[in-house]
Amino acid sequence: MLAELGFGVLVLTFFLTLYSFTAALYGEWKRSEAVVESARRAMLLTWPLLTLSALALIYLLVNNAYQVSFVYEVTSRSMPAYLKATALWGGQAGSLVFWAWLMSAFTSLVALRKWERDRELLPWVLVVAAFTLAFFLSLIVFFENPFLRYWQTAGGNVLRAVFQPANTLPFIPSDGRGLNPLLRHPGMVIHPPMLYLGFVSFVIPYAFAMAALITNRSDDRWIRLTRRWTLWAWLFLSLGLVLGGRWAYDVLGWGGYWAWDPVEIAAFMPWLTGTAFLHSVMIQEKRGMFKQWNMLLIILTYALVIFGTFLTRSGVLSSVHAFAQSAIGPMFFGFIALTSFFSVGLLIYRWGSLKADVEIKSLFSREALFLFNNLLFMSVLVVCFWGVLFPLLSELFTNQKVTVGPPFYERATAPLFAALMLLMGAAPLSAWGTASARTIGRALWKPALAALFVTAVLFFTYTRHPIALIGFFLIALVLFVTFYEFWRAARARTKAHAENILLAFWNLFGRNRRRYGGYVIHISMMLMAVGILGIELFQRETQGTLALQQSLVLGGYRLEYRDIARFPGPDSREVTRAVVDVYQGERYLGQLYPRIDYYPEAQQNMTIPGQRPTLRDDLYVLLVDWKPASSSGATFKVYVNPLVNWLWLGSLIFLAGILIAAWPERERSAEQ
Amino acid sequence: MSVQQQKQGVPLWAQILIWLSITGLLVLVGLGLIRAQRPMVSVGSLAPDFSLTLFDGYTLDGASSLKLSDLRGKVVVINFWASWCKPCEQEAATLEAAWRLYQPAGEVVFLGIAWTDTEPKSKAFLKRFGITYPNGPDLGTRISQLYNRNLGVPETYFIGRDGTIKHIQIGPFASVSQIQALIDRLLAE
Repeated sequence: MLAELGFGVLVLTFFLTLYSFTAALYGEWKRSEAVVESARRAMLLTWPLLTLSALALIYLLVNNAYQVSFVYEVTSRSMPAYLKATALWGGQAGSLVFWAWLMSAFTSLVALRKWERDRELLPWVLVVAAFTLAFFLSLIVFFENPFLRYWQTAGGNVLRAVFQPANTLPFIPSDGRGLNPLLRHPGMVIHPPMLYLGFVSFVIPYAFAMAALITNRSDDRWIRLTRRWTLWAWLFLSLGLVLGGRWAYDVLGWGGYWAWDPVEIAAFMPWLTGTAFLHSVMIQEKRGMFKQWNMLLIILTYALVIFGTFLTRSGVLSSVHAFAQSAIGPMFFGFIALTSFFSVGLLIYRWGSLKADVEIKSLFSREALFLFNNLLFMSVLVVCFWGVLFPLLSELFTNQKVTVGPPFYERATAPLFAALMLLMGAAPLSAWGTASARTIGRALWKPALAALFVTAVLFFTYTRHPIALIGFFLIALVLFVTFYEFWRAARARTKAHAENILLAFWNLFGRNRRRYGGYVIHISMMLMAVGILGIELFQRETQGTLALQQSLVLGGYRLEYRDIARFPGPDSREVTRAVVDVYQGERYLGQLYPRIDYYPEAQQNMTIPGQRPTLRDDLYVLLVDWKPASSSGATFKVYVNPLVNWLWLGSLIFLAGILIAAWPERERSAEQ
Repeated sequence: MSVQQQKQGVPLWAQILIWLSITGLLVLVGLGLIRAQRPMVSVGSLAPDFSLTLFDGYTLDGASSLKLSDLRGKVVVINFWASWCKPCEQEAATLEAAWRLYQPAGEVVFLGIAWTDTEPKSKAFLKRFGITYPNGPDLGTRISQLYNRNLGVPETYFIGRDGTIKHIQIGPFASVSQIQALIDRLLAE
């Protein structure tokens, strides 16, 4: 019953979206206000309808409706309810429903805007958004239907169909196959939705950009309208990436947070173009430059979002994130071809009218430095793109699939990231329009000297690794410059408004959210860089089989194996938990409990580390194997990951920074 | 880019270049897609035959190369790995421990296949984890293409005495007992 309803609603929504697309197009062509209005209202209906459909699916998931094949594939009786509900995005079909639901929510938000002010742009935004939504809905309705049910024929064959075929009986498996144990983690609740939110919300700025191109508006109205959208999209995408890293760090059992896996890169590429876009739109707003470039960036971002989704779901590339192979690959391919030809063609057609109002005057002006920043982000993108396409290319020409591994990406991108950090240090000190090497040098030498001092201290007290020292120098430089900027602006306020310094700081954020939020993000990026340098350059590991009371030593820690126990856990797991005492020198620090959870129905083990996080390092202990007889002992693998917790601390500050930047402010108050 | 002002829009040669590169990219991805759509080996199908030349120092029954079909009648565990792959490090010791359990009886053969890797790095990896079961490089990715693996390393294929694929393990093993359970089931068949 519920399955038929869910499917029926999906089909209805699909037709409504098609209608909205056609009506908006037709209404614009015939200049008919009423037809466009009807397109808008049709779009407003999609969100409640998709909500209904998604709720039906969630209800089926939570209530063990194993006749529905999607429910059978991603849940099992033993899973807690919250995991059953979030298994919505644990498989291809459900995640497409979730995607469509988000997309319709965003499009409805656009449709709810006051239309009079942007009467020119909005119908076209609707056209582009409705087309994208219709595409995703068609995938669900025709290829990946989550509401298919099992039916058994008299001959014993099991079929899948929404409606009962003739001469069949419902076939209801007694239990589901269950979610991959790797996905049974609280991270599952939040990492995929964040990524999807990020991906989907980039569709809106793209739709506005297309609308601006179609209507031949060369001003920055579309950017002003989508500025906050883009920030939120970027927030979600960034959070998705960071949460994915944290999840991997906790779950995968080798202390890794980023493996340069093709799908990670697929999510990272739109982040790169999105970040470049966030920077370069400021130049268009302030100086009327980079119009063509901004268009190109938003088109690229959208194309990369779709491309990333395609890569994950088509089986074209090897990845741990891959969904099962499915028929939607060719559909996606067609969609990518269509949208890229359309957008690039449109951009070429309008190229001449997107001329810059002014030219760059100085190589050291802020706009020039922003241009360098963009070029560097593009270079990182090229490296990533090359790495992702390389297996396809090599397969084509040599008939061998050659993959490039993390060392390639690390070597190719590290200097680019270093250059970006240098710019992050210099750009805030440069001026719009005219600036010279001399003015920048004058502003930069004090923070540079301070950073050099910090590096010298680190050289004598912490490390002599040259790459680490270069990294720490750049980090210190950016931090000093950013704090200096804060301090300078706050002090100016204390003088001008007679505020005390703390109040002045607080008011800074209110006055120019984007700028000071941006600086907070710069600070957080530097903290994350500390963590990345630490784990990449200084990670240490050891492995050993210990009998009870025996010890293992690594990086100043001593771990003593105390006890092991086996007991049934929640979610029908069998838990094997070891107890390890941790000492630093002779000082007792506490106990860690690394464990192995066995999931009988999936016949799969999950290794859950014992962690002792401090700002200095993260002690990370894994129980690799154990023998039932206590005498033969257990095998442990131990990692010491220096500084890695700065990465997670940095991501919290990052969140704060972006909230400051994206928080709604009173209209026009912060334009200046 | 926008730095240079262009009065006349995009010049023709640039347009041609742009369209050619977009089409090229699409063709590339499209061909990849066609390859990906080929059927994958699955549990129950006959394991495709291949020959493997082992790394220096490794032998199986005294020979430095082998053919999968010659191993019919034994249970074969084929592990695809790479030295740059972190999860492979995690399972390396586990696989070796399992191999030592079964090696004496001679009923089970473990094969390690280094996928898209360089020989010195593969060898360093094998030495580091003290791997003794036969290992060889997947020259020209010929073997992995037969199995059309596209989910990444590590991946392990369990082949029954009758030469069919019985189980495909995606991702690393967490314990020896996990491998034992799979092999013992196949030995009992």
